[in-house]
Amino acid sequence: MAGEASALALLVQRHHGPLLGYLYRLVGGDRLLAEDICQETFLRLLQQQQYQAGRPFKPWLYAIATNLARDHFKSAAVSRALHQREPDETLLALCDPAPGPEERALAAEQGADVAAAFARLGEEYRAALLLRFYQGLSLQEIADALHVPLGTVKSRLSVGTRRLRELLAPVKEGVDER
Amino acid sequence: MTIPSWPLDSADHLADALREQGETPEEAADLASALLSLTTWQAPQPTAADTGRLLARLMPALPSLSPVRQAIRARRMSQRGRLAALLETARTQVSIFHPAFWLLSAAVMLAGAAAMLSSASVDQSLLLRAIGPFLAYLGTTTAFRGVNLRVLEFELACPASPVQLALARLVIVLGYDFGLGLALSLALWAQDKASFLMLTLYWLMPLLLVAGLALLLSLRLPVQTAAAISYGGWLALLMLDSTGALVGHSLFILLSVQGEMVISLLGLALLVIALLRIHAATHCLLPRS
Repeated sequence: MAGEASALALLVQRHHGPLLGYLYRLVGGDRLLAEDICQETFLRLLQQQQYQAGRPFKPWLYAIATNLARDHFKSAAVSRALHQREPDETLLALCDPAPGPEERALAAEQGADVAAAFARLGEEYRAALLLRFYQGLSLQEIADALHVPLGTVKSRLSVGTRRLRELLAPVKEGVDER
Repeated sequence: MTIPSWPLDSADHLADALREQGETPEEAADLASALLSLTTWQAPQPTAADTGRLLARLMPALPSLSPVRQAIRARRMSQRGRLAALLETARTQVSIFHPAFWLLSAAVMLAGAAAMLSSASVDQSLLLRAIGPFLAYLGTTTAFRGVNLRVLEFELACPASPVQLALARLVIVLGYDFGLGLALSLALWAQDKASFLMLTLYWLMPLLLVAGLALLLSLRLPVQTAAAISYGGWLALLMLDSTGALVGHSLFILLSVQGEMVISLLGLALLVIALLRIHAATHCLLPRS
């Protein structure tokens, strides 16, 4: 936090894309919301004075982002909105075995089935899986980002991957049938 | 579609990642085949314009330093700038040194080294004390010869002040002499002739003294005369010392081992005085005609 514009520009250019991708997936594919949280994450980054030089930067960044996303979903307004409508309904419908093989194959190609599968996971599993498989963080970095012990990370990843396999299985069968 | 990164870039990497989280190889292979479909879920990538807009929103929030810290930073930067400017000026001044200066200095040092490494019985400290200041003599007569070359007016018209030019040339002369002297000391030290520190002190300290005195005198006298008086005076002291005439005299302390630090401090003080006096005394150097 030396207050240098060039350093900030470098930081943002390096992490903007990956962070936006993480938040986009974490919030279930809402780009505008992901962009808002992404911007808020960088703002918090500038305002916080807790970073210690020498510590890994990425876990710190993703910790802020994950906490902001968590806070967003915990807020009363969002909770009300979630009760009033089922945002994941359309996505979840893709996992319904009722659609035909062609529809399921098309959905699989577009990744909608994966998005729907992630939407059905608990937030703690979703964050760990996204950080591991899409962001490529190490187990220790995930533990630092989520503020949980290393064993908990392994446990969440183990349970999460099995749950994900179950959720993706019908779609995979549809693709295989084609 | 963006290229997936580790571990989704290959089934093997995915299986590795799964094994790392505690899966058995069989389970990892099975899970990997199912999880490879994760690559189909693409996330949007921000364009350069998106990143630019984000940066524009973040810039006002960039914490600014307090005025005190800003002043400290500005001071540090200006100090670094001054050092860089001095080295840059020194680089431009290298061309005024004739090749003979570089070669003669090196030859003097080599001759000294050869004499000391030979089997002939030579008083090492005496030889080193004579060689070091001779390099200072050579450097002074070469570097501060503006009067003789009739280029002092040009030097005074330079954007760099006479003090800056003098400092830059001192950096060159003393830097080169130090390099040569250190090489000599290392060579002698490698031959187990004496301690490295003492050898370095023997030639370095008188060199500083003669350089400082020559520069100070050059503000009133022609450069060659000033350098000759300084070096000649030093040689005279050495000769008196070698004959034992100085024993019991106050000057004897300068020629003792303990006096090396006194000599160097005196040399540095003379250099500083000379540099401080250059502004006021430059008119004395202008040609009389």
